[in-house]
Amino acid sequence: MSDWISTFPGYKQVLTTAKKTFGRIIRTGPVPKHVGIIMDGNRRYAKSHNLEIKEGHSLGFDSMASVLELLYESGVECATVYAFSIENFKRSTVEVKWLMDLAKSKFRQINNHGELCEEYGVKVRILGNKSLLPDDVLEILNETEEISKNNTRAVLNVCFPYTSRDEITHSVRETVRECMGNPNMIINEQTLDDHLYTKDSPKLDLLVRTSGTFRLSDFLLWQCVSPDCAIVFIDKLWPAFRPWDMAKILINWGFNKYWYGGHANGYPHAYKRIKHDEDDDDEEEEEEVNGMLEANGVSETNGSSGFKRYDAEQ
Amino acid sequence: MANILETVGLNSQADATLDQVTADATATTKSRRRKGIIVQPENVNEQLKTDRRQPPSSNRTTNPLTVSLGLTRDLVKQNKTTNSVLELIGFYINHFILLSLFFVISIFKNIQFAYRYMFLKVLTLSYYPNKSPQVIREDVNKLSKIPKVVSCILDLKDDEDENGGVLGLTNQIGELAAWCISAGIGQLIIYEYSGVLNQSSESLTSLSRYISKNLTLYFGTDTKPTFSITIPHKNLITFSEGASSTNRKVDLEISLISYVDGKPTIVDLARTMGELAVNGELSPKDINAELIDGELTDLVGPEPDLLISFAPSLDLEDYPPWHIRLTEIYWEPDNKEVSYPIFIRALQQFSNCKVNIGK
Repeated sequence: MSDWISTFPGYKQVLTTAKKTFGRIIRTGPVPKHVGIIMDGNRRYAKSHNLEIKEGHSLGFDSMASVLELLYESGVECATVYAFSIENFKRSTVEVKWLMDLAKSKFRQINNHGELCEEYGVKVRILGNKSLLPDDVLEILNETEEISKNNTRAVLNVCFPYTSRDEITHSVRETVRECMGNPNMIINEQTLDDHLYTKDSPKLDLLVRTSGTFRLSDFLLWQCVSPDCAIVFIDKLWPAFRPWDMAKILINWGFNKYWYGGHANGYPHAYKRIKHDEDDDDEEEEEEVNGMLEANGVSETNGSSGFKRYDAEQ
Repeated sequence: MANILETVGLNSQADATLDQVTADATATTKSRRRKGIIVQPENVNEQLKTDRRQPPSSNRTTNPLTVSLGLTRDLVKQNKTTNSVLELIGFYINHFILLSLFFVISIFKNIQFAYRYMFLKVLTLSYYPNKSPQVIREDVNKLSKIPKVVSCILDLKDDEDENGGVLGLTNQIGELAAWCISAGIGQLIIYEYSGVLNQSSESLTSLSRYISKNLTLYFGTDTKPTFSITIPHKNLITFSEGASSTNRKVDLEISLISYVDGKPTIVDLARTMGELAVNGELSPKDINAELIDGELTDLVGPEPDLLISFAPSLDLEDYPPWHIRLTEIYWEPDNKEVSYPIFIRALQQFSNCKVNIGK
């Protein structure tokens, strides 16, 4: 059905305008700052549509570009996509080669045209254990990072080769290394946070997984267990995932935040609240307030949005 | 009933009322001291005390002060940047559209809630375990595979609520244990954010007593299955009646974990590794995923195959991040109760899933 519509002349313009309009509307409410996407189902899509696996991956890339456009129009500051897992090296060598070639050609395209960079002002960052990549791919990736490093509007984190366990290990290792130089340093959750690959990005607000699988598959585990992060599983294969689906997720997220008072997971867990002695409660609150004053807790606000968020960490 | 339980304490920090310390226990401690990596219980305890008892609905600090500060700041900012009137009107028109959209969604969600409520009621009618292992067995036999390790996220509810307070939790764990044994699941990991149950050996004893009682209801007195309860972070183990200390094979291993077994344990591990590295006993190069995985499996437990959340919406509540790598996650929207239909539907979903690491 959507294939048929897309053959109409002017379809692209209409789509772009629709995305812009949607972005303008949703920006006035709460919008996730950081969205993580597991792009699963390219191969299954190819198989079910009698395509070559290579074409499936290629369609997946187009789908990604289209969804990212919507995200950035909606005011998302940072998107993290799971492009390649360290475990994916276990796939057949031919397919790994295809994927590497696809990455190479797409990034080269980005480098040459500068479309992502100029049009959207997107800064590309490569996360993951880069030492596992072939040299020629690494070179192109570094070039992309270099070209886009001055863009400020939004960030695209490409996880290439990445697993969350590797990330946590990396964080622990770096922390230990720092600790050797400075034995008196205090290690807490924040220290480990600061050594993750995603240290420069805002905290994760939304994680989307396609293809109807209810697993996290080693992606952003440390970040997504936080109660601030909503995890959404979608029963669609990634190439069939349209900006319209993403729009529904975004509006649902915004609704949950707006309606349920800051809880991203869609339900007020109010029934859980246990009544303490009132005196106790007041004391705690006062302490918190004092702490906040010292920590200089207000971060920059969301600008045009009518819904502000404040973060103690920044 | 006192002789039913053999409580083994491994930790000097744990309560002094423990009955026996077996040689077996010291062996476990030794294995933990292997490579010298062991989490200091003092730190963990302190952290627990300072924490709120309830899972936070947000880690970010929002209170009236920060909101008002932010709004004031926004006001000042807005005065500086000259927003044209047109822009402002545009903003309010868009915001109005968004709010109308939200309004429509809220109506839709109410209808959805009513529908799901009915659906859950029908489910409870169609799947009723009737306190009989045979019924559960029959349900499970239809499935192509069952998980080895199941983890459940339970919420501590208000004492006045139905199934609320510690008693409610105990009741829920008792039921879950019976269902797991009937289904043939070998290990059950209970995650409860605040950790009210895994504080002392007394709570462990009473929990164990309750579970035995509940199992009698299911299995009768003659063929009552054996089980053990562990609290990994306090190093406590309790065995049920019938599971002698020489034969450590039990039908169900239950472990109780809480918030401290998640990120704080990884932080403690990093701290200990840091100390070792400073003393030159460990090189940062030697830290790899296998080492951390080994340590965390020792300290917290294995990775569950299936994670069931009994909350109305999916909220991982700071579940140990290392352990949910390939875990199948199940929850039923708008469900607040720990009920058998949810459990069996989770198993059904698990039997349909296909895990292919990387491939």
